[in-house]
Amino acid sequence: MRRFSITSLPGFTPIALLAFVALYLPIIALVVFSFNASKSMSVWGGFSLHWYESAWANDAMRDATTRSLVIAGWATLISTTAATLAALGTTRTAAFRGRTFIYGMVNQTLMVPEIVTAVSLLIFFAAIKVATGYQGLAYLVLAHSIWCMPLAYLPIRARLEGMDLALETAAADLYASRWQTLRRITLPLMMPGIIAGAMLAFVTSLDTVVITEFVKSAGQDTLATFMLGQLRRGVTPEVNAISTGLLVLTVLLLAAFFLITRKRG
Amino acid sequence: MNRLIAATALLMTSAALANAEGVLNLYNWGNYTSPEMIAKFEAETGIKVTITDYDSNDTALAKIEAGGHGFDLVVPSANFISIYRDKGLIAELDLSKLAKHSNIAPEWANVEWDAGRKFSVPWQWGTTGVAVNTSVYGGDINTSSIWLDPPPELVGKINVTPEMNDVVNLAIMYVGGLPCTEDTAILKKARDVLVAAKPAWMSMDYGMEDKMAVGDVPASVYWNGGILRARLINPDVVYGYPREGYIVWMDSVALLSDAANVDNAYKFLDFIMVPEHAAMISAFARYANGIAGSDAFMPDDMKTAPEVVIPEEFKAAGHFLPTCSPKAQEYVTAIWTELQK
Repeated sequence: MRRFSITSLPGFTPIALLAFVALYLPIIALVVFSFNASKSMSVWGGFSLHWYESAWANDAMRDATTRSLVIAGWATLISTTAATLAALGTTRTAAFRGRTFIYGMVNQTLMVPEIVTAVSLLIFFAAIKVATGYQGLAYLVLAHSIWCMPLAYLPIRARLEGMDLALETAAADLYASRWQTLRRITLPLMMPGIIAGAMLAFVTSLDTVVITEFVKSAGQDTLATFMLGQLRRGVTPEVNAISTGLLVLTVLLLAAFFLITRKRG
Repeated sequence: MNRLIAATALLMTSAALANAEGVLNLYNWGNYTSPEMIAKFEAETGIKVTITDYDSNDTALAKIEAGGHGFDLVVPSANFISIYRDKGLIAELDLSKLAKHSNIAPEWANVEWDAGRKFSVPWQWGTTGVAVNTSVYGGDINTSSIWLDPPPELVGKINVTPEMNDVVNLAIMYVGGLPCTEDTAILKKARDVLVAAKPAWMSMDYGMEDKMAVGDVPASVYWNGGILRARLINPDVVYGYPREGYIVWMDSVALLSDAANVDNAYKFLDFIMVPEHAAMISAFARYANGIAGSDAFMPDDMKTAPEVVIPEEFKAAGHFLPTCSPKAQEYVTAIWTELQK
């Protein structure tokens, strides 16, 4: 008898192909039309780099992109650090009262609709903005960090739970201090989880629209809210150009990550 | 990491530098502000203008109501001005500081939602009507039956812009009511007409400037300025003014009560009431502006455009959306919700 395998189920191949087409065709169309000479998003008018030039010359768009990347960078740093600590605290300790509660708290933003988080942050931050007079980027960084934290937490925790405890026990048996064990054994082993979490956090921060829209102060449009603002008055292919740029950046990051981990392995 | 810190520092210092020379924070609809006009204002006054986008009146109101937003000027639609005013969110203008206030065209100088223009100055105004690609349908297009009881040529080829107040009130006028009516018999008729027409629509979407120009969408409920842009690319696209009633709207600039840069805001308000500058705003977004004498500075393709200059015979059918009573607004929302099912 043949062993059961999902891949041998009838219809597996067509469904998989369909899923890939549905996922990638729109992205390919986006990239192709970023090189379109005409203003249309659907009719091909010849090859041109015009939209890349005009996106680059568009100060508002360039500022928004820089701001998006800066916020995403900080939010990734903060949320991944916090998520790593939280994951260690909830997996490398004896079961304690309130652990489930902590899970719930950490993952709270996954359960609560984004608009609810956004409105509560709006009200909360507005009070602080009025009281302190400070209106800088820190609010957005903080909001994004909160929003991204469960996404960083889940892969890190999964990694920690899947790791062989024997290695850490062995280190302790060989008189490694707790710090040494963490530094030399646990952290390197959980690194793939941390990197995966950080990437998820980064990407999530980049495309967070609702929270950004509600929390941003004057002059703090990110790429996502900038594109949203364009929607009603007609989007130009500049948006395609800049999206393609971000796509290339993501692919480069992924490729670098892949090469680095393969060398180590 | 170093890059991140450097970029952050750059963002911080550029904000600090700008502060030293005087700034102005404009909170406006996305892609609605002429960059040329802003550049000219900055060059003449030395004030650095920061534009922040919003995509709906409701979002803008929510943020401003929460406080601590840091904006000086906002551009609400007519039916939102009274909400801002009643909540004390916008300040009464000191007209002695606005030398160009008299430039406001007579028909916009004393409007229902802002008597004497004490709280807002015109930014742009337009209409919501129907647009049809005449190569697909050659009949009468100055009627809402284009999308509410479509001719066979257009069945399955109509887009309706997803604007709740515009769409529901157009339907109310089509069945003989007035915008924001509380007459349940009329409202029921409007709902039935909308629900019955929906299967004949292909989409409820924005972005018709492009989709109608290339012929992807043969007919749509849309804004005049967007259709003007489409017609300049594709002459077959024609804008119609439904004789049963179409919607006239205006977005106006208002000074926020908690604005930090009040003097600069007055300079800006005065600046945009100069005909030449108002025309720059219009040339960018393709809507009319409400400043007398700006016609002379308008681009040639707008001076006589039938999308911008409403033909005399259709003028009477245009209706401003008033601020609906809470009850009327509830009906509008209920109809919209049912339409979305």
